[in-house]
Amino acid sequence: MNFLTIVTRSLWRRPVRTSLTLVGIAIGIAAVVALVGMASGYEKSVVKQLEVLGIDVIVSNMEGGMMPKPFDAKLQDEIRDFPNVKKITSVLMRMISVEDAPMMMVSGREWGGFTWDQLSVVEGRMPKDDKERVVVLGRLAAEVLRKKVGDTVTVEIEDFEVVGIVDGKSVVENGAVILALPLFQEVSGYEGMVNFIDIQVPSEADKEATQALCDQIQKIFPEGRAVMAKEVVGTSQGFKIARAMSWSTSLLAIIVGVLGVMNTMLMTVFERTHEIGIFLALGWKRRRIVYLILCESAILGLLGGVIGVILGAVTCMLLEMTPAIHGLLEPDLSLTLMSRAVMIAVLVGVFSGLYPAWRSSRLTPSVALQG
Amino acid sequence: MTSASPTNKPSSLFEAIELKKEYDDGSVPALRGVNFKISEGDFVSIIGPSGCGKSTLLNMLGTLDHLSSGSLLFRGKSIIDLPDPAAYRAKDIGFIFQSFHLLPTFTVAENVQIPMFGMPWSRAERKERAVKLLDSVGLSHRCDHMPLKLSGGERQRAAIARSLANEPAVLLADEPTGNLDSKNAVQIMELLDELHQERGMSMILVTHDLDVAGHAERVITMKDGLIVSDDKSSEKNSSYKS
Repeated sequence: MNFLTIVTRSLWRRPVRTSLTLVGIAIGIAAVVALVGMASGYEKSVVKQLEVLGIDVIVSNMEGGMMPKPFDAKLQDEIRDFPNVKKITSVLMRMISVEDAPMMMVSGREWGGFTWDQLSVVEGRMPKDDKERVVVLGRLAAEVLRKKVGDTVTVEIEDFEVVGIVDGKSVVENGAVILALPLFQEVSGYEGMVNFIDIQVPSEADKEATQALCDQIQKIFPEGRAVMAKEVVGTSQGFKIARAMSWSTSLLAIIVGVLGVMNTMLMTVFERTHEIGIFLALGWKRRRIVYLILCESAILGLLGGVIGVILGAVTCMLLEMTPAIHGLLEPDLSLTLMSRAVMIAVLVGVFSGLYPAWRSSRLTPSVALQG
Repeated sequence: MTSASPTNKPSSLFEAIELKKEYDDGSVPALRGVNFKISEGDFVSIIGPSGCGKSTLLNMLGTLDHLSSGSLLFRGKSIIDLPDPAAYRAKDIGFIFQSFHLLPTFTVAENVQIPMFGMPWSRAERKERAVKLLDSVGLSHRCDHMPLKLSGGERQRAAIARSLANEPAVLLADEPTGNLDSKNAVQIMELLDELHQERGMSMILVTHDLDVAGHAERVITMKDGLIVSDDKSSEKNSSYKS
């Protein structure tokens, strides 16, 4: 028998209560993994999309939540002649309900812009020009909408023929309905407006030069922002809100977990007053008893954390399969997130055990022996 | 540990000077100024009616409770406000309780190992010692049993084996036969006699049973928190044995 035997034996003396506590922690940690995994997955999808499209600088409005508010497309003409602008194109992108899909990315792209270049046709063809009233679907969008080439898809109030299925090499691109900018401006009621201007800089332009370009754009577009693509996720208000919401919801789940473990450990200490008295009478140091209680609560946290990570990962996979999310993002179930979640669970366990442990260490042996 | 030789002055094990213990902010006095000396190798019984303070006194000797005032020495050193009373309880004291206080979720051998945590012994050594101790009290066949599967007498034997785990200087027994039938009570007292006689183990035993008290060489009688008699008859206290 070693110390761990004593710890585990104590926990499994009340299997139902221990199991319920584990479920409580596991649900909290599953919420952390699912929410943060989805939010982080969305961020990564966007970063991947920007990389694939070869965008170096993004110009957008400050306001508008997840999708920035549209602005006058003429801004592009002013920026075009700035130094270090190699290619420039504009996009009107909106998250809207498309047929049965409650949320889908619809991307109206300036005809001839470099953002069309990365799309490879899987089936069918590309639109002939920006006058042809047709759309192409990303692979996942076609899957979600259950459309094939030749079908029609309703965007806003108009039906468009699907002329091609494309592979955009990123989840966001593959999950989008893509059409020419003027068509989307017309059907969405944002004529002459865009909400992104995407810029490519020459390969020789370094970070300082790119930043100088951003600063220059900022001067003529003070109500908006121009940021380097690599920084867009870190600085975007939408991503910040999503991150804050996922962590704050997770925090609530964690607090519930803390209360659950604390309750269990307090009950344990109350119930085991007599046993603690025996340990004290037999020469156990108070700090060994504190360590015993903390180990028990840490093990509860560890087990709950591991179960929670598995539960969270399964939840993410199930969520990813739902029509509302499928094709929009891939959950980020990285080892970092999982190990961080388990670490949080262990800390929750230890933190929850502090008060019960302190309480147990204050017992007078003769009183404790009486139970 | 050996009992004092008749030619040498026995060394002091415990010395109590004006021990006082009060509960509820002084409104309930349990010990009202107790004085005594107990030597190494002594077998002492403390008797008296319920509430006379005998268990409180035993708790003081084992540092299970705090004194209100007075002085208590173990081998010449004060055990009041010890920086590490746990070490004293682990190494110098062995407790035997009326209700055995075995942990129900651990096997008998595991129970015997509980006091050994903190001693510089490996897991294998702890187990080996526990088995030997259980063998010495006639319970080698019960090592892997849970305490609840044992009879009362067996449980108390297991508790005695546990009290000997770290080779203590003295055994403090609080009503060790209080929960046993007469046959088991006799057997437990024979085991304690054997430990005292063969190992020279010092023993302080609290009881209200005069037959049990009669096994000791010295009987201290308490009443209302005070020692009212201290009978140091030689050999066994035949006057208490029926």
